Amino acid sequence: MNAEIITQAERPADEATLESEHRYKRLLASVTDYVYTVMVEAGRAVATLHGPGCEAVTGYTSEEFETDQALWYRMIREEDRPAVLEQAEHILRGEEPPPLEHRIIHKNGTERWIRNTTVPRKDAQGRLTAYDGLVYDITERKRAEERLTRAHARLKANDAALKRTLEQLKGANQQLKETQLELIQAARLESVGALAAGVAHEVKNPLQTILMGLDYLVPNCPAGNENLRSVLSDMRDAVMRANTIIRGLLQLSAHTDFEMKTEDLNAAVRRALRLVHAQVVAGKVSVVRKLDAHLPRVRVDVGKIEQVFINLFMNALQAMSPGGVLTVTTRAGRLGEDLTLSDAACRPLKRGERVVAAQVQDTGTGIAPANLPKVFDPFFTTKPVGVGTGLGLSVVKKIADLHGGAIDIQNVAPGGVVVTLVLRAEPEEMLSSAKGV
Amino acid sequence: MKPMNTEKKRILVVDDEASITRLLKLNLEQTNEYEVRPENDALAAVAAAEEFKPHLILLDVMMPGLDGGELAARFQANPKLKSVPIVFLTAAATKGEVYARGGKVGGLPFLAKPVELSEVVACLKRLLSG
Repeated sequence: MNAEIITQAERPADEATLESEHRYKRLLASVTDYVYTVMVEAGRAVATLHGPGCEAVTGYTSEEFETDQALWYRMIREEDRPAVLEQAEHILRGEEPPPLEHRIIHKNGTERWIRNTTVPRKDAQGRLTAYDGLVYDITERKRAEERLTRAHARLKANDAALKRTLEQLKGANQQLKETQLELIQAARLESVGALAAGVAHEVKNPLQTILMGLDYLVPNCPAGNENLRSVLSDMRDAVMRANTIIRGLLQLSAHTDFEMKTEDLNAAVRRALRLVHAQVVAGKVSVVRKLDAHLPRVRVDVGKIEQVFINLFMNALQAMSPGGVLTVTTRAGRLGEDLTLSDAACRPLKRGERVVAAQVQDTGTGIAPANLPKVFDPFFTTKPVGVGTGLGLSVVKKIADLHGGAIDIQNVAPGGVVVTLVLRAEPEEMLSSAKGV
Repeated sequence: MKPMNTEKKRILVVDDEASITRLLKLNLEQTNEYEVRPENDALAAVAAAEEFKPHLILLDVMMPGLDGGELAARFQANPKLKSVPIVFLTAAATKGEVYARGGKVGGLPFLAKPVELSEVVACLKRLLSG
C-alpha cells in the first residue's frame, strides 16, 4: 500500500503545474472583487497597480492595466465617468468619499456594475501618498435590483389598475343598487297601476251614478233646507275627491297609449298654467315665467306632459301661502355641463346629452330631507287629509320615465322646492327637415 | 204646429248600468229640452235606435256582449242611423285624456265618467245646435 502512495513531492513537475493552473482558474472564476492601488505624488495620481482579481471582474489583466494607464478610464461607461472622476478628485484632495457604484464595459463587451470603495494612505505628516480601491462586482445584485424595480413598477401599475377596477366595481355596484331601487319603485308603480286599471272602471260607474243623483237632487232640494244642501255639496266634493284618486291611479297604469309628437314644451307649460289659473288666483300666488324663447322641441305626448305640469303646479300652489311665487323656467343645454343633476336623477339620460329642462319652483316650506327619497312613492303625501292623493308626483315620475326623461326634486334656500323635468331634445337636423316638409 | 226650436231632442242613452241611464233620463228630461230613452242592452240598441229615431246617441264603451266601439260602427253602418251623432260616455278614459285628444276617440266625441250634468248638456247643445 505504501508503495502506491504518491506524495506531492513525488508528483511529476508538469502535473503539479497543471493542477495549480487549474485551481487558479477556478479561484479566478469565483472572484468577484479585486484591489487596486493608485500612487500619488504632490496630489496627482502617477501610477495605478491592479491586483490579480481584476481579470475576473474586468476581463483585463494587471499587465494590460499597467501597459495602458488610461484603460481603467476608458473601461468606465461614458455616462458614469464624471461621477468616477469626481470621486477621484475627492480622494486626491485627501477626503474620504463614500463608495461609488458605476458601470464598466467588460473586455468581452458586456456591461458590469461595480462598487468602488477607496481608502487613502497617508504619511506621518498626513500627506496623501496613495489610495487603495476595493472593487466589488455587484452586477448580479444590480440586476436583481433592476428586476425588483421593474417588478415594483409592475406591481404599482397593477395596483393602480386594481384601484381603478375597484372604483369601477364600486360605481357599478352603486349603479346596480340604484337600478334595483328603481326597479322596485317601477314594480311598485306597475302593481299599483295594474290594480288601478282593474278597479277604476268599476268605481267610475258608481261615481257617475252618485254624481248624476246629486245633479238630480240639488235642483229638487226644498228651498231653505240648508242642511240638505250642505250634505249634497259634501257628497259632490267626496265624489270629486274619489275621482281624483281614480284618475291618478289610471294615470299610473296608462303607459301604452302614448301619442308621441314633436312639441314645444313652452306651449305645454302655458296651457297647463292656464288650466290652474283659477287656483293661482284663489291662492293669491304670483307666477313668474322664465321660458327660453329658443327652446329645442321635444318628442312627447303633450297631454301627458301637461298633466305633469298641472301636477307640479298644483303641488307648488298647495305648498305656498298667499303671496308665494311660482316660478317656471325652461332652458336647453347639455346634461352635466349647462345643467347639473345627480347621476341618479339623470338616469336614463347621459351626461353631455342635449336636453330640455323645465323647472317648477315654489316658495313654500320645502320637504323634510328624510322625506325627499319617498316623494315619488304612490300614496306618499305630506299634505293634510283631503288635500292631496299622494299620487301627483308618482304620476309625474311615471310619465317622465315613459318619456325616457328624468325628474329631480330638491329643496332650495331660503325655502321651497324646485322640481326639474329633463327631456331629450329633438336632434336639430330632424327639426330642419321637418320644417322643410 | 210647434215651432222647430221647441221640439225636444231625442237622446238614446246606451249603458249597461241601469242607474246611470235612469238618472240621465231624469236629469236631462228635467231640463224640458230632451226626451231620453234608456237602453241597457247593447245588443238591442240598434233596434231601439231605429224605433226611437234619436237626434243623438250617448254610448257607453265598456258593456257586456257588445262594446261601444263595435256598436258605434253598427250605428254608422245603418242607413237610417248613420247621420246620428254619437257621443261616447266612458269610464275607460280620464278627463285629461279627453282634453289631450281634443275630446275625440276614433273621430267621435267622448265624455269621461264621472261627468257632471252641466258638461253633458253643454256637449249635447254643441252637437245639436246645427
